Amino acid sequence: MGKWWGVMLEEYLPALVHVVVGIGFAVVALLTNFLLGRAGARSKAKDTPYECGMLPAIEEQPRFSVKFYLVAMLFILFDIEVVFMYPWAVVFREYLEREGVLIFWSMMGFIGILLVAFLYALRKGAMEWSR
Amino acid sequence: MNPILLEAVLVCYAFLLLLVEAFNSRMPRRYFGWAAVVGTTVVFFMTFFVDSSKMNPEAGYYGFYAADTLAILFKRFILLVSVCVLIMAIEFAPVLVRYLPVEKPDAGSGEMYSLVLFACAGMMWMASAQNFVMIFVSVELVTITFYVMVAMMRGNRASLEAGIKFLILGAIATSLNVYGIAWIFGTLGTTELPEIGAILQSIDSSLFPSLLFGFGLIFAGISFKVAAFPFQFWVPDVYQGAPTPVTAFLSVGSKASAFVVLMRVLESMLSNSELSSKILFMLSLVAGVTILMGNLSAIPQTNFKRLLAYSSIAHAGYLLMGAASIVSGNSGPAIAYYLMAYLISNMLAFGVLLVVGKSTGSDELVHFNGLGKKSPWLATALTLAVLSLAGLPFTVGFFGKFFIFSSALQAQQFILVGIGILGIGCGFYYYLKVIRAMFWLPASKEQSISSPIEISKPYAVMLILLSISLIIFGVYPEPIFNLIP
Amino acid sequence: MDIANFAEASATLGHYLIVSGLLFGIGLMAVLLRRNIIILFMGVEMMLNAANLSLVAFSRFHPVGGGPAVDSQVFLFFIITVAAAEVAIGLAIIVALYRAKQTMHVEDLDSLRF
Repeated sequence: MGKWWGVMLEEYLPALVHVVVGIGFAVVALLTNFLLGRAGARSKAKDTPYECGMLPAIEEQPRFSVKFYLVAMLFILFDIEVVFMYPWAVVFREYLEREGVLIFWSMMGFIGILLVAFLYALRKGAMEWSR
Repeated sequence: MNPILLEAVLVCYAFLLLLVEAFNSRMPRRYFGWAAVVGTTVVFFMTFFVDSSKMNPEAGYYGFYAADTLAILFKRFILLVSVCVLIMAIEFAPVLVRYLPVEKPDAGSGEMYSLVLFACAGMMWMASAQNFVMIFVSVELVTITFYVMVAMMRGNRASLEAGIKFLILGAIATSLNVYGIAWIFGTLGTTELPEIGAILQSIDSSLFPSLLFGFGLIFAGISFKVAAFPFQFWVPDVYQGAPTPVTAFLSVGSKASAFVVLMRVLESMLSNSELSSKILFMLSLVAGVTILMGNLSAIPQTNFKRLLAYSSIAHAGYLLMGAASIVSGNSGPAIAYYLMAYLISNMLAFGVLLVVGKSTGSDELVHFNGLGKKSPWLATALTLAVLSLAGLPFTVGFFGKFFIFSSALQAQQFILVGIGILGIGCGFYYYLKVIRAMFWLPASKEQSISSPIEISKPYAVMLILLSISLIIFGVYPEPIFNLIP
Repeated sequence: MDIANFAEASATLGHYLIVSGLLFGIGLMAVLLRRNIIILFMGVEMMLNAANLSLVAFSRFHPVGGGPAVDSQVFLFFIITVAAAEVAIGLAIIVALYRAKQTMHVEDLDSLRF
């Protein structure tokens, strides 16, 4: 195969096989179902949600629990804090003797700001009801 | 004293307030508001002790933060705006609490004061930003804080709807801004404004298309904050739905700091006359259409808050007229003076609107009928504010418009001045509508028998101070003019 | 871009910028044309990431000194952070709106009329 846009393509052959097998598996499964399965008639009764054989209860709007959103949001924000810490830990290695104090305390300041946010969230009850 | 301490102290104080508010649920929330006012006043006095050797733009911190005289002036401006907004927020707190869907009363209303302080610190950083990265980060701090503040009344559908509209349109403007900065960086290799000015002096004109594209996108992003023509659609809805102190803060503070950023970016581009002539042409077009749109759309309004929103679009148009005439040397001071005048008159107008809205429950113009009989002092204050916004002589707004128009004439933007005069004419109509409603139209039955409007003493002091300064600086503009570099 | 030498052309700056422009355009179309608020938000994120892509491309193809230009990479981190913060707040407002109005469609927000 040779070069294409400057990259040796043989190295990517396993990835291509992986993708083809993945897609092919899903397609074959669906096709088999479509061709070999016996599609029955759809009726209104068959489309109602299954509730252990009883008749479905009154149609209610699903109550939205905000705790899921809170956990996800707090995770994202603290994850971004960690995203900042990785390059900080790696890039400043040569400068550590000259400006070590500045480097350390600037990151501590950043973590301090997020600590305030954490204490606030803790106190307002964002971390409860989910464990 | 090192100038970075200003914002650092403000932000640490805001964090302290936030933590104390979270851990202490017994103190009445307005004490936090007064604590925030005290903190802001302390920082305001600290700006007078800034080390003047650090005020040189070249001594900026790695090129990010420059505390020159323009920056210090705008920091004081924004601190004054924040004090007014905090006092308004303390007055507005009962209405806010009514719309918060929480079980404990007084919970969820204390954060507003810390949020105002965060937005204030963000605007102070915007005033001294010298680098596109710093501009971006501080603009985002301000904008994201405003998303929270606009949607603060979570039980009120109008507030939430205003929050969503502000959010989506603000996010689009942010991404336009970022894309523009990416192209400018790619073309010029740097994001610092002084260096960009130096590189642009001797640049090859084959790079112009990408430069114009980048600057155009950046102006699209900035004109969102400034409420200029293609991006002013969020202004009426957001101003109407947001809580009144937040609307006041948005209309004065956010606009002023966005104009400071615009002036700095324009200054860096001026060194290349070809590029700047194209961009100034675009700016003058945008200014003309903004003036027309703002004034003409305000005429049929029946809601006073929405009328003030459209009028603030018109004022942004006048300010852009000043920005488009930057080739005349004195448009910077003209814009700064206009912003001071706008601060006084707009804060007074929103101050009276807040009190009337709080007592009658709505911001419609019909609720202002008969205000002249019911509370004559409030009616006088609103009359002064509205006349100053319109630009009547002997009010501070007159001198603002005068300086802007004279700098536009010096830059030979005659068509723009003509459109501006037309706009002022329209402006008189809708501003005088309010005066007519207050003094000539009789109040409806239930309003004339209700009790007179109550204002707390500190709030009344603020309104009186604003009215007095409106008249004093209208006849004697020297003090403000001496402050501007 | 030389179509004749397709097998040996390498990715130039122009290719990256076109891809980033296309991504930006797709995001903009998503914001202008879709009804669901969350899809609008995804479009906005896509626009921000298109800008990220062009920043990285500029960083690689305009090297400064020994290596790639670092300014834009630092800016990139800030953009990612700001996008995350904006998403957190935006989704909070959308959740509050859903609780108040039970709707996820943009056209149902019409109480603030002219």
